[in-house]
Amino acid sequence: MGTGFANSKIESERVSDKFPVGMKILLVDDDVTCLTVVKRMLLICQYDVTVCAEATSALSLLRENKSAFDLIISDVHMPDMDGFRLLELVGLEMDLPVIMMSSDTRFDVVMKGVSHGACDFLSKPVRMEELQNIWQHVVRRKWFENKEIERSGSVEESEHNRHIIDDSEYTSTVNDGPDSSWKYQKKKRDSKEDDDTELDSVDPTSSKKPRVVWSVELHQQFVNAVNQLGIDKAVPKRILELMNVPGLTRENVASHLQKFRLYLKRLSGVAQQQNSFSNTLCGASSNAKLGQLGRLDFQTMAVSGQISPQTLAALQDELLGRPSRSLTMPSMNQPVVQQALVQGNSCVSFERGITFGQPLLKGQELSSFPVWSSNNLGVVGSSNNLGGLDASQNSNMLMAMLPLPQPQPHSRTISSESNHAINVQPSCLVAPTKPSDNFQVAVNPMLNHDSVAVPTQSSGSYQAGNAIAPMTQDSVVVPQSSTSMKMEKNDVKNLRSTILPSQSYTSISLGNNPGLVNYGSVTIPCQQANKSQSDKTFLMNHNSLVVPSQSSSTLKTQRDVLVNHNSTRNKDSTHFNYIRLPTKSNVVTSSMAQILDGDFHNLATAGYLAPETNTSDILLSTGSNTSWQLASSKGIIGQSNVHDFCNVQATDTMSVILSDKGEGKNLGFVGKGTCLPSRFAVDDIESPTNELTNGITYTGDDAYFLNQDVYGALQSGPCATTSYK
Amino acid sequence: MELANLQRRYLDFTSPLFHEGILDNQFTQLQQLQDESNPEFVLEVVTLFFDDSEKLLNELTRTLDQQVVDFKKVDAHVHQFKGSSASIGAQRVKNVCMAFRNYCEEMDQEGCLTCLQQLKQEYFLVKNKLETLFKLEQQIVAAGGSIPMMW
Repeated sequence: MGTGFANSKIESERVSDKFPVGMKILLVDDDVTCLTVVKRMLLICQYDVTVCAEATSALSLLRENKSAFDLIISDVHMPDMDGFRLLELVGLEMDLPVIMMSSDTRFDVVMKGVSHGACDFLSKPVRMEELQNIWQHVVRRKWFENKEIERSGSVEESEHNRHIIDDSEYTSTVNDGPDSSWKYQKKKRDSKEDDDTELDSVDPTSSKKPRVVWSVELHQQFVNAVNQLGIDKAVPKRILELMNVPGLTRENVASHLQKFRLYLKRLSGVAQQQNSFSNTLCGASSNAKLGQLGRLDFQTMAVSGQISPQTLAALQDELLGRPSRSLTMPSMNQPVVQQALVQGNSCVSFERGITFGQPLLKGQELSSFPVWSSNNLGVVGSSNNLGGLDASQNSNMLMAMLPLPQPQPHSRTISSESNHAINVQPSCLVAPTKPSDNFQVAVNPMLNHDSVAVPTQSSGSYQAGNAIAPMTQDSVVVPQSSTSMKMEKNDVKNLRSTILPSQSYTSISLGNNPGLVNYGSVTIPCQQANKSQSDKTFLMNHNSLVVPSQSSSTLKTQRDVLVNHNSTRNKDSTHFNYIRLPTKSNVVTSSMAQILDGDFHNLATAGYLAPETNTSDILLSTGSNTSWQLASSKGIIGQSNVHDFCNVQATDTMSVILSDKGEGKNLGFVGKGTCLPSRFAVDDIESPTNELTNGITYTGDDAYFLNQDVYGALQSGPCATTSYK
Repeated sequence: MELANLQRRYLDFTSPLFHEGILDNQFTQLQQLQDESNPEFVLEVVTLFFDDSEKLLNELTRTLDQQVVDFKKVDAHVHQFKGSSASIGAQRVKNVCMAFRNYCEEMDQEGCLTCLQQLKQEYFLVKNKLETLFKLEQQIVAAGGSIPMMW
């Protein structure tokens, strides 16, 4: 068994008959006794064994020569390096199968092995029978790679594949009919004539392909390419093209991608618990600068979109009279949310992108996003109406803003930026303070993800042109005196963010905006928003809160009702009750009934009290739990949306609520002590159909309100602020 | 007949070891790994085990003797001891290790010390038995015979 399993083609033809004889194994264990025993067993199985008592030396052995080994068996507990760490490294760098061993086989230990990518887990003391079958891991991996190769079109037919298994010679100790299983395998192999051999070679002319070393630089390039494409659209072929690394093959990329995804999944699972992401942006001056803000956040959007009663309760707690809140940015490393956003296509990978970007960032200082002058500056000077801003990446936050009637001078630390396409790194603060005429974000895949952009003063226009992706995701955008806020072709703007064009916001124009605006966010055109336009039907303020606070000249809300989401395709439109709260109204409003479509179950009536102050109260929607899930962004547009009602917060100018339909669930709208405009209209509720198109399921307490042209229809009453037409 | 006697003595000596749980099936596996190409395999492994174990026991004694006991360290040693004893089939030793780990988790110094005592006892017991076993084997081999196997 000299030639080993992973040799050149010629040699392997020779030895392949005796496969898995000669398979090269690297055995790593600090316990010499065990090392000796297992080694002996492996030798008896006719494998080729190299031993290492230290993980570090094993790693260097591997790095020197990847093709020297086919399989690694490693102990979990080692003094110099954790076995799982070794596992991870081997997986990423060398793409070799690794089997873990330990005398500790508790669930969490084995689970850790699984999550780190181990092929198998052996418990000590290791028995011969177990070792005899480990060759399957090598084969399995090769086959999988072969499939990739096959797909890529450059498959080398390998003849010796067919002769690999020689039933008669190999004695398997597997008790369940080893022969039959062997034969099965053999048949499988025979049928895979097109598959490449266990060699990684794609090029028919080369007999042996060296394994690719995924160095940090190479990995970085890989990550950049994936980021560019978006994790969900990242296919090996495109990644390969983008990386443009000579000698790298599609299959290398494919297998690396596979591992990478696994890695991400694991990280995101871990990250979820970390919850430690802090945004400098928010924390800093939020309190001081921002006014009070009732903060409302809840996870309206989660991958599975469920708002649990606990969440609701938590929200309620929050909502209840906590006037000044600081801005916090909870951790953002959460597993991806959805792809659904908007139009399914464009912005999708954002979150994923962020998700995987982040860990990489942390771990390896690889930046997944081109960070541009991220000014981790302090806060965003919010408009007068802002209270604390809370942007949470993970959850759809509905930012409740408490618009304050007074404009306040804000001191902000902001950097000024001229018009650029800004791609802000998550959780940064970008604040073009100066009167940039044009705060433009063109073709910006992601702006302000989880950050705050504050084109504070007199930005001529806040434009997000051609932004394909959610523009301000989980962020806060506060164009102060923007004359216009335009979003062209923007799929999603303000996903879960807050837009606060605080002052003299002349127009919010959402032209050509096919997507979702203000998804789960809050838009508060505080003052004098002259008009807002939206050309096409799109979902605006999906699940968000629009709070036109003051004297917007036109906030056309028909009878204070908000919007309906009309999409051409959708027949249903859901209406939401949009309660606008006049800023200074001290009207104590009576409860407002939400009119919801028949589909809505619990529409609660909102009773509002008009507080004298401007503290924000929050309207909670207590509905039953519903979870909504935005499956695909396609869904949003033009969906009939039944949106679950999301809560709304109240402030004296609050409007809100959306009823929704969700798969029939909850929605309750509970208002607490908010001041409501004297009139609320809640009519115009069309009956939304309960269908979720495109797989968007809204079941949740979130209500969205769609603000569409209906917005335009909204009449400006005392509290009319903006009209979105 | 000397050989036959030796062999019988061997069996009489060895089978109770299994019955009493001092050794388990893993030891038998080790014996199976031994063959002409590797005639001293079991002896080799067991010798390694002895060396390693004595080091571990010393470490354990030292660590548990501190004012402030580092239980993590103790646990790591015990874990290792557990692994190696399991690998050669020293079942009782392994069992004591398991109990020992529990005390470590609970940071119970007294309990740990008790376990350590027990561990030493079991270890020396198995060591003793194995040494006798090897002697008997050697005698059989010297007498030209083959070692009767337990399986």
